[in-house]
Amino acid sequence: MARTVEAAKCANCGKLSYPRHYYCPACHGTKFEPVPIEGEGRLITWTRVYALPLDYAVRYTTLGIVELDMGVRATGQLDIAEPKTGQRVRARVGTVREINGKDVAGLIFGAV
Amino acid sequence: MRDVAIVGVGSTQFGRAQWSLLKMMCEASHDAIVDAGIGEKKIDAVYVANMGGSRNNRMAGLSSALVDRMNLYPHTVSETIENGPASGASAIKHGMHSVASGHCDLVLVCGGERMQEVNNFEATEFVSYLSHRYAEYVYGVTLPSLAGMFTRLYMERYGLEPRHLAMVAIKNHENGAKNRKAHLRIPVTMEGILTGPDALNNNPWIAEPLRFFDCCPVSDGASAVLLAPAEMAKQFAKTPVLIAGMGQATDSQAVQDRPDPTELTAVRMAAERAFAMAKLAPKDIHVAELHDAFTILEIAESEECGFFKKGEGHKALERGETKIGGKLPINPSGGLKARGHPVGNTGVSQVVELALQLRGEAGDYQVPNQPKHGFAVNFGGFGNNVVATVLKRGV
Repeated sequence: MARTVEAAKCANCGKLSYPRHYYCPACHGTKFEPVPIEGEGRLITWTRVYALPLDYAVRYTTLGIVELDMGVRATGQLDIAEPKTGQRVRARVGTVREINGKDVAGLIFGAV
Repeated sequence: MRDVAIVGVGSTQFGRAQWSLLKMMCEASHDAIVDAGIGEKKIDAVYVANMGGSRNNRMAGLSSALVDRMNLYPHTVSETIENGPASGASAIKHGMHSVASGHCDLVLVCGGERMQEVNNFEATEFVSYLSHRYAEYVYGVTLPSLAGMFTRLYMERYGLEPRHLAMVAIKNHENGAKNRKAHLRIPVTMEGILTGPDALNNNPWIAEPLRFFDCCPVSDGASAVLLAPAEMAKQFAKTPVLIAGMGQATDSQAVQDRPDPTELTAVRMAAERAFAMAKLAPKDIHVAELHDAFTILEIAESEECGFFKKGEGHKALERGETKIGGKLPINPSGGLKARGHPVGNTGVSQVVELALQLRGEAGDYQVPNQPKHGFAVNFGGFGNNVVATVLKRGV
């Protein structure tokens, strides 16, 4: 299982994007270098969700969108009991779902 | 290009289907054919709107199945359109193009969805396929969770309170109770769903800050419209309704990817394009059916479409302007909230409801003063593919 989640840095103009698009949103370049998503950021919104899809044997999950200091935004799970919009969080990579018996790695944000 | 009119409409009961998906679609199509006062043999083309047939009902190529069941072969051409929850309006758009171009004269557009054939987890799962595979879906993102995160941002930015969301539900349930084809015909009160001692039992969290009554039900249902060139429209039994304008626009698949995640850019652009084609403005609209899959969306869309200034939709709601009898009635049919949301069908059902309003045939939920112009927004994904429609009574 891949233990990193990667943003894409355009080889032409250096623009960082996530999720990756086929063309660079800034210069339409098509070559990218992977850059691991890591570090701290600010929680811009979140939800505790009880309407879960398949694969989750829990009552709820907590999800949020984070503006990372490295310059991209990412959606991930929150490992925070009482999240507050605007709070500082730190990204790590862990198992976020099991699909067809295989663990899927993704971003999990904890309080700083 | 020819102007295109709606010359017949039909719809099943929404809720839990008593029949198969195909039989529901036949029933709605037959209603539209009878409404138009024609024989089915005259139909040149069939467009079917559906999102989940392959997964939930183990059926693919639905338009071919409908053509077979209704004995329309071999002369009728047909396609199935899958455009997520905007499939319905997309199918109408394709039908309109086919008539406008002169390729076909009489086109049947039928939306159908049978979601209750699977359990709620399966239904939530299949709708979550609309989210971005790697940036959203793998985290367990569902449509309610995107709506929850959007709602929190919107409330913080524009000062909406939970009571504003509840007001949308109360209004649309009140309207839906008057619509005999609606899925939910139960009026609800502020005390029952928000302020009373049992409110949290009646109305539990789904995706904070959204509760149960902020979300549309999981519905079965089919609807159909018959389209014809405006120049032929007077040959049919009922008052024709002109498709005055249609507009469509797209947005990033992942909500996080939008420069301002509270902006529904595709809604704004689709509405602007539909109004431009119709040569009408938001102030000309007398009745609207907006895509209130979540209560927040009715408010946000009413602003993006230009009916109210950004951040002021909830104030108009509070003043009662969006009730039946108000300045701009929104979702007099009950909307997705109460009429129901059979996903692939919804866009067709919105147009059917508006046609009934413009023809003055909506019965107990008829908007007063003979509305002439109607407007619909059919919202796909979480706003990544949106179709807006402007309708006009007469040709």
